[in-house]
Amino acid sequence: MAFSFIFIPLLLAACLPLIGKFSKKLIPDVLTNAALAFLLFNSILLIKPVLSRGSFFENINWFGENINLQIALDGFNLFMLFTISLVSLCITLFSIDYLKHYGHQANFYALLLVMVAGMNGLVLVIDLFSVYLFLEVAAVASYALVAFGLGSEELEASFKYLMLSVVASAFILLSITVIFGLTGSLSFQAVARGLQDLNAGLAVGVCLAFFIMGFGLKAALVPFHAWLPDAHPSAPAPISAMLSGLLIKVSGVYALFRIVYSVIGMTPALSRVLMAMGAISIVVAALLALGQNDIKRMLAYSSISQVGYIILGLAIGTPLGIAGGLFHLFNHAVAKGLLFLNSGSIQHITGTRNLNELGGLGKKVPITAGTNLIGALSIAGVPPLAGFWSKLIIIIALVQAKHFGYALVAVLASILTLWYYLLIQRKAFFGPLNERWQKIKEAPFWMTTANIILALLCLLVGIFFTPVFNTWITPAADALARGVQQVLMWGI
Amino acid sequence: MSNLWFLYLFFSALLIFTGIYCLLTMRNLIKLFIAVEVISKGVSLAIIATGAVKHSILLAQTLAITYIVVEVSLVATALALIINIYKKNKSLDIRLLSKLKG
Amino acid sequence: MIIQILLLSGLVIFSILAILLKDLLKAALSLAVASLFLGIIFFRLDAPYAGVFEISVVAGLITVLFALTVALTRKDSEVKEARLTRLAFPLFFVIFLIIDGLVMKSLLQQVPALPAGPETGSFGEVLWKSRTFDLVAQLGVILAGVLAVLALFRKKEEDKDE
Repeated sequence: MAFSFIFIPLLLAACLPLIGKFSKKLIPDVLTNAALAFLLFNSILLIKPVLSRGSFFENINWFGENINLQIALDGFNLFMLFTISLVSLCITLFSIDYLKHYGHQANFYALLLVMVAGMNGLVLVIDLFSVYLFLEVAAVASYALVAFGLGSEELEASFKYLMLSVVASAFILLSITVIFGLTGSLSFQAVARGLQDLNAGLAVGVCLAFFIMGFGLKAALVPFHAWLPDAHPSAPAPISAMLSGLLIKVSGVYALFRIVYSVIGMTPALSRVLMAMGAISIVVAALLALGQNDIKRMLAYSSISQVGYIILGLAIGTPLGIAGGLFHLFNHAVAKGLLFLNSGSIQHITGTRNLNELGGLGKKVPITAGTNLIGALSIAGVPPLAGFWSKLIIIIALVQAKHFGYALVAVLASILTLWYYLLIQRKAFFGPLNERWQKIKEAPFWMTTANIILALLCLLVGIFFTPVFNTWITPAADALARGVQQVLMWGI
Repeated sequence: MSNLWFLYLFFSALLIFTGIYCLLTMRNLIKLFIAVEVISKGVSLAIIATGAVKHSILLAQTLAITYIVVEVSLVATALALIINIYKKNKSLDIRLLSKLKG
Repeated sequence: MIIQILLLSGLVIFSILAILLKDLLKAALSLAVASLFLGIIFFRLDAPYAGVFEISVVAGLITVLFALTVALTRKDSEVKEARLTRLAFPLFFVIFLIIDGLVMKSLLQQVPALPAGPETGSFGEVLWKSRTFDLVAQLGVILAGVLAVLALFRKKEEDKDE
């Protein structure tokens, strides 16, 4: 039942505020984690039927009446669903201990679950307008979550995020409207078929420009990135992990590339534009990250830079490039989730995120320091961790497609990435111990558990890279590489 | 018939431009949100006009109504944010809020 | 046709007023008038349900919410806008008007579109049967909005409790 990915979180979110009246802490914790664990289990169960059949179409009948609740699953969707469930489960595990700083567990979890439901819905739907709607579901929940601390910094960041995000969704909706006008329909299949029959290069170009602007804002590509370094660090640590690890990828990268590949169809010109944007994001954001003193701000800039890698890989258009991009998407979701959760641990332990005040924590809190090191090295691309392989695949794909300039940019920027991550390590964990931190203790149980799970994932995916890549990433990449044909095959 | 479509799109583009201009230049938080409302008027005009011109007005109406529901939810969230910001800073000026830098 | 263009112009003019007026309450009211125009345009385009929603929800409910916010934040909340903003607006607006007109005119000849068959069924059937997923998503959005408002106003409740 693929519908459970939307309905279970929504139903639970609707019940949680009531449950929160009776049990402040225990029951919301247990229920949320159980629901997300169930979804993770469910997505693993779906792997076999989906991959053996290629795609999977589900339709609900309501007491025999035929209503239009349709979703489709293929390798690409399923890959995203699995990533969402996995990372969000680790995030809620972490929240069990972390939420002591904020209180109001039930409300927090309810918003988080609505966000998960929105992302799952966005990934599953087969209709352009529904894409917009679920985008908005996840977005409205995320505005409230960014402001959850209710400090003036959080509120301001949330307001800025809301303003830019509303403009983004207005452009997305306008573009959908124009496509609706051209083809007279909204479902992926009908639009894909209609646009093939129709020779409307100019109007489709305008639509694509709007889509790139809208989804680029959501994914924080460089000309449109201004909101992210404010919004992501201000949010509570689990939400930063959620936003940086999942939301920008689902509502930006997934939506853009699903529409570009499966509905409109990739063209060489479009590929060039997206690759250029990806490369600019990589370099600019990496340079900006170097100057930051706040851990979370540095991580936020790093997210922009790594999303640039993902887009660079996906936009090449060759199956290998797409696979590299998707693999990097997964690795970045895991590793950036880990690093943001870890920054939450550091804040919990010491009460500050300023790198200049930290120092020598490694001896006092070995687990936090160790998991942070693994996550940082994975994103920076050090073998044998997962991030190394995905960057390597992207670079190989760039060389194969004869984009030597971009390959060079990717290599040089990954050195820059390594540099600023080592900067975090040196300032926070190595060196002489700052006097202030004599009495600190390791983070509580669930916080370290979540960190350890994600760090193990970085390590294991890196070590067992070949089987993971062949059985898991390649089908997802194939589903995208088939282009418009993939969507036309659905339901047949 | 499609001439009409472009007439409506012309006006909806004007509304969206007006909204974005205000969003970029103004400083009062409530003014900024009025700008968002103006943008969304432009979008819903485009939706209904497209439906009317392409003979699928029923579908377009459902889309417009759904869009209005989304808008209400957004307005509620944003106004709650504005009231909270006002309580903290005793001001609606966006320049006073620039502790964060882009 | 001419009535329609007049209505559309009214919509744009009142939207501009909503942005340029200094008094926030007046701005909110002219936004409501703009909504009213939009609602009438919807009616004339054969979209009565959307028109009703536009007038009752956007012109009614949202204006009330705006007025409430303005009232709650009224005390010493004067914000000085840069004078250039208002002065430069007509210039930019005219420039955009010309660009917009030219673009739409040139697109006019070039954009092909698939002919769409006439719709069957009633409004209710389209809403409940072919757009069922949208209803689910609407529930999600409403839930998100309610939870967001609950989360943002929770501090106040705590103060009362203590």
